[in-house]
Amino acid sequence: MIHFNEIQINGLRRSKMSTNGKKQIPCRDGLWSSPSSPDEKPQLMGSKCPNCGEVFFPVNPVCINCQNQTMNDIKLSRKGKIYSFTTMMLPPPQWYKGPVPFDLGFVELPEGVRVWTRLLGAEAGTFKIGQEVELDIDVMQVDAEGSEILGYCFVPVKK
Amino acid sequence: MKEVAIAGMGFVKFGRYDGQKGRPYKEIYELGADAITKALKYADMEWKDIQVAYGASMFGGLGVPNQCTSRLGMPGFPITTVEGACSSSQQAMRQAYLDIANGMYDVGLAFGTEKIPPGLIADTLSPVWMLRMGFNLPGTYALGTRAYMQASGATEEDMARVAVMERKNAIMNPNAFWYQGPEITVEEVLNSRMIASPIRFLMACANADGASAAIVCSKDKLKSKAKAVTIVGSAHATATYGYDNLGNSVREKMNPNCTELACKQVWEMSGYGPEDMDVIQLYEAMSPSFLWDAEDCGFCKPGEAGKLVKEGYFEIGGKMPANTDGGLVGRGHPTGATGLAQIAELFFQLRGEAGPRQVPGAKIAFNHCSGGGPNALCHVLKR
Repeated sequence: MIHFNEIQINGLRRSKMSTNGKKQIPCRDGLWSSPSSPDEKPQLMGSKCPNCGEVFFPVNPVCINCQNQTMNDIKLSRKGKIYSFTTMMLPPPQWYKGPVPFDLGFVELPEGVRVWTRLLGAEAGTFKIGQEVELDIDVMQVDAEGSEILGYCFVPVKK
Repeated sequence: MKEVAIAGMGFVKFGRYDGQKGRPYKEIYELGADAITKALKYADMEWKDIQVAYGASMFGGLGVPNQCTSRLGMPGFPITTVEGACSSSQQAMRQAYLDIANGMYDVGLAFGTEKIPPGLIADTLSPVWMLRMGFNLPGTYALGTRAYMQASGATEEDMARVAVMERKNAIMNPNAFWYQGPEITVEEVLNSRMIASPIRFLMACANADGASAAIVCSKDKLKSKAKAVTIVGSAHATATYGYDNLGNSVREKMNPNCTELACKQVWEMSGYGPEDMDVIQLYEAMSPSFLWDAEDCGFCKPGEAGKLVKEGYFEIGGKMPANTDGGLVGRGHPTGATGLAQIAELFFQLRGEAGPRQVPGAKIAFNHCSGGGPNALCHVLKR
């Protein structure tokens, strides 16, 4: 688990280097915000519809509830509660390179959005429905060119 | 609209056609062509009688339906490839049904064929960033299952009992993957290895190879009107906004899910309701979804399905026999061929040809099928 404040990633852009000299690439641009200072933490980016008020993750240019075509980008809350979870005992095929077993879940954020995510930072199989978790960004895998691919995950809130 | 009948069905036993361990080797195209030939024979029709075809495969690649039909002749009629994830071939049948009901054609062919390896398969419906993060379909099923258990109070034993019932039915079905296979017990299911908690190995469908086909025609084109099976309701629905379709990051439920929507339409169209059915099919790539499908389709109240399974309500001999052929868990799941395999079982049941699985006097039947998207199809068949 690599925490943002430890490696001081700023912006997660393709040109940025981590402290170990490896280039870091988000698994998909625009999923989370780029902190503008070392004190700031990344947040998942969503869309809020100014017409009906619905909130979506990831960012979507159209409201899938009312079809309004002007959406506002919003930063989603970093903390939420586990709505459902599973412990994967088999490695998902082809693309996944992380540990097995590992947990997947839906985390419900205060904005009303349920975010599909990996659940990390605790032993696999120990998460609970309703548990409070918070966003983290981690290195998921290293690609053929040696770049680190970053993903988002949720981890238990430290008491 | 014209009255539409199913004139015949053809089936290639669900199993493995990989040439390994003494098993026969067959191309996906050969499987499809075999099923079509059998359906034509059942219908007492010939290749030249077909006017339109819809063929399905989920993983087969480019032009699979045409490769199947070209083994039987170069027909000239329109052949449309249908891919609707796990419901592909039932979508194919619905398209043929619509063409005939609307009077465009009199005789249509629908079929599905598939060859898939065992184990988890990389899905092509999610973006790579999600696949890198570990997105996979059993995991998604598991997330839905946990949420359902939380809401309904259903237990792992309930899910295990569905698998036990289905395997018991499959043992009697010569077309099933688990035909003549061993019976399993609730304890064995609950002790089988975990795939994605709370889903265990024996709760999951077997990936399989196989094919299925239907000849669909206007009722007046049937070669024999005896025990004719007609399609009296057909509905197809996709997701509505505000339902938690697990994969869509949306809020609390505020609209029907696609199964509820398709059911509502099929009951309205057919004029029948769940209580009128003699035998039913519910889609379950993993045994827990049998429970919420039974509830969403209106065969019981929310949260009741587990209790009814325990009481034997859905068994052959029970009040509402379901998945009498073994369902996906017992019949196996060659994805593109599954939708029509479900219809085939109801067709054989309504014609009194289901052998030891026969529900005595079955006259009216319901089918629920679903697939990624998400999408759901419901059909009501009547003898």
